[in-house]
Amino acid sequence: MASDENRDGAAAAEIAPDEAASAISAICGSRSWPADQIIAPGWYHLSLGLLAGGAIAEAEMHSWVLFAWSVAGYTVACGALMWMNQRRAGVAMKYFDARTRAIFAGHVLTLSTLIAIACWLDLDRGTRGAFLAAGVLAIPLTVAFGRWTDKLLRARLHAGQ
Amino acid sequence: MSTAPCFDEIIHAPNRLQICAILSAVDSAEFATVRESLGVADSVLSKHIRVLHEASYIEVHKATCASRVRTSLSLTEAGRAAYDGHVAALRSIVGNGGYRGSSRRRGAPAE
Repeated sequence: MASDENRDGAAAAEIAPDEAASAISAICGSRSWPADQIIAPGWYHLSLGLLAGGAIAEAEMHSWVLFAWSVAGYTVACGALMWMNQRRAGVAMKYFDARTRAIFAGHVLTLSTLIAIACWLDLDRGTRGAFLAAGVLAIPLTVAFGRWTDKLLRARLHAGQ
Repeated sequence: MSTAPCFDEIIHAPNRLQICAILSAVDSAEFATVRESLGVADSVLSKHIRVLHEASYIEVHKATCASRVRTSLSLTEAGRAAYDGHVAALRSIVGNGGYRGSSRRRGAPAE
């Protein structure tokens, strides 16, 4: 700490390249900490996947009331999970840039396609278990898209963007 | 877009440089998170935060949640500009093999 205080008074008249290089190295080290923190734990994406899968699989019951409750529950639980994860990480950042937005759009599109196929199979073809299968498929897909987003966020933090 | 190099004595202090580096990468970070990242005591971090706050480089937000006060920190626009300029100055020092005399303290009266 003494070195910090000494610097306050000094005019930084002469900064050696070695000192500047070590300062840049310290900056890189500092960035890696929040970058590691931002990686969500395994339970986070799995929980989001289970919520999405549960909401889709629940359509197998053919009950509009249950469907409405599951959508409301899914929304509230996702919000709570995201809040908990942000509290855990201790940092807040803009999650969406061009690439993460594209991944999110891909995730939504994939789940929408799964639901559309399940609707066609169940309602048009009368295939039982279509929503259940779609729900089960939604779990690993949500985990994969979530981890992909984490990877991009981590790279962005390391780059200091 | 490149930032004009501008050495900043306030930011150059090692701990303050690390604080700015962390905050530059995020919108805001909690006090405890920054303290853990730096591995310093509360009092040490508070002192550096006060210096940066007095220079208008960081904002301190306090929120009460479940009867606990949570303090979060974020860089101001001026702080971000000063940090970017300082990093550019450091890079130019590394590139040019040295830096002599022309540093200035942002926010201080011109000499």
